[in-house]
Amino acid sequence: MGSAQYVTASVSANRLRTSLGGEGNAEASKMAAAASQGGRAGGGGGSSGAGGGSGCGTGSSRSGLLDKWKIDDKPVKIDKWDGSAVKNSLDDSAKKVLLEKYKYVENFGLIDGRLIICTISCFFAIVALIWDYMHPFPESKPVLALCVISYPLTLACQFVLFLFCVYVVYFPLNFICTYFVMMGILTIYTSYKEKSIFLVAHRKDPTGMDPDDIWQLSSSLKRFDDKYTLKLTFISGRTKQQREAEFTKSIAKFFDHSGTLVMDAYEPEISRLHDSLATERKIK
Amino acid sequence: MNKRQLYYQVLNFGMVVSSALMIWKGLMVITGSESPIVVVLSGSLEPAFHRGDLPFLTDRVEDPIRVGEIVVFRIEGREIPIVHRVLKSHEKQNGHIKFLTKGDNNAVDDRGLYKQGQHWLEKKDVVGRARGFVPYIGIVTILMNDYPKFKYTVLFLLGLLVLVHHE
Repeated sequence: MGSAQYVTASVSANRLRTSLGGEGNAEASKMAAAASQGGRAGGGGGSSGAGGGSGCGTGSSRSGLLDKWKIDDKPVKIDKWDGSAVKNSLDDSAKKVLLEKYKYVENFGLIDGRLIICTISCFFAIVALIWDYMHPFPESKPVLALCVISYPLTLACQFVLFLFCVYVVYFPLNFICTYFVMMGILTIYTSYKEKSIFLVAHRKDPTGMDPDDIWQLSSSLKRFDDKYTLKLTFISGRTKQQREAEFTKSIAKFFDHSGTLVMDAYEPEISRLHDSLATERKIK
Repeated sequence: MNKRQLYYQVLNFGMVVSSALMIWKGLMVITGSESPIVVVLSGSLEPAFHRGDLPFLTDRVEDPIRVGEIVVFRIEGREIPIVHRVLKSHEKQNGHIKFLTKGDNNAVDDRGLYKQGQHWLEKKDVVGRARGFVPYIGIVTILMNDYPKFKYTVLFLLGLLVLVHHE
C-alpha cells in the first residue's frame, strides 16, 4: 500500500529532522488512521452494536404502541447509502426494543471482554514504545519482538470470546497463549462467516429461580447488499437448551426514502421473533 | 452504555495508533535496522537514487559491509542520515570494519562531512544497507518538510477525516 509506505516514510523523514520519535509517530498514526479507515482494517473496529452507531433516538408520539419509547424522541435518520450506518441503526433499534419493551437487562460481559482485550493490546504497544525510548534500538530488540508478537495475539483473543460468549459470564478466562493462537486463527476465519453477536441480555426469571435465561441478538448485513438478517437466540437458564429464530428482510422495508428508520415496520418483526421463541418455551 | 461507547471510541483510535506503531516496530525488529525506511533527500547518489526515493534498509550482523554497497549512516553529532556508497574499507579478522564513503554524484569523498578528526566510519554509525527501493514516493515527505504549512494542512484534514468518519 502506498499509504503505508508513506506512513513509514513520513515517520523516517521526521526522525531525520527531529529527534523526537513521538512527534513522528503521532503523524504516522493519523496517516494510518486514514489508511485503515479507508481499508476497513483494525482489530477493534468493525461493526459492533456497542460502538459507533448513529445516535439512537427513536419513536414518535404518534401511535400508542410507541409511547413507551423513552428519552430520545427524534426519529433515527441516517444516510441510507452508508451500509455500516444502516446496520448500526438497525442493531441499536433491535437492542432498544428488547431492552425496553421486554425489560431485559443487558449483560456487558462480552463487550467488557473486548474492551479489556483491546486495552491490553494497546498496553503492549505502549510498553514497546517506552522501552524503545529508554533503551535505544539494538538493546531493545527482544522486548520489541515480544510486544510485536503479543499485540496481534491479544487481538486474536477477541475472536475466542465469540465462541465462549455464553460462558464468559460463568467461567474465568484462561490465558494460555498457544491455545489462543490456534483458536485465534481458527476463529478469525469462522467469525467472518458467522454473524456478529451484538447483544447478550439476561431475563430475570420472575419466579426467582437462579439461572437466568439468555437472549442473544446477532445480525449481518453484507457489503453493498440490502438483505439484513437478524437472529434471536434464546438459551434457557434451566435446561441450557438453545433455540433460535431469524428473519432476513431487505432494509428497504424498514427505512423510508429519506433514511429514517420506521419503527412501525421494524418493531413488529422483532416482537414476532421474540414471541415465537417465548411461546415455545411456555409449551415446553 | 454511553460511557462504554465513549471508551470504545477512544480505544478504537488508540488501536489504530497502536497498529501503526506495532507495524513500524515490527519492521525494525525484522530488518534489524533502527530506521528501516528512509527518504533520500539529496541528489548525491544519482543516477542510482534520486531525490524522493524510498530505500528499504537492513542491518543484520551476518551481512558484512563491503565496498560498492550503498549504506545509510549517521555522523556523530548530526541527526540526518546520509545515503552514500562505500568506497574503501579496512577489515580486521574479528570483523571490525572501518570504511570510507562517497556519493556517486559528488566530486570528493565524504571526509569533509565527517566529524572533526574522524577519517573513517565504523559499524556503529551505520543505520542500514539499502536492499531495495520504491521510487519517487518520498517526494511528498520532502514537500511536507520544505513547506511546513502544507504539512499542517494535511494533518488537519486527516484529523478531520478520522473524526468525521467515526460518526
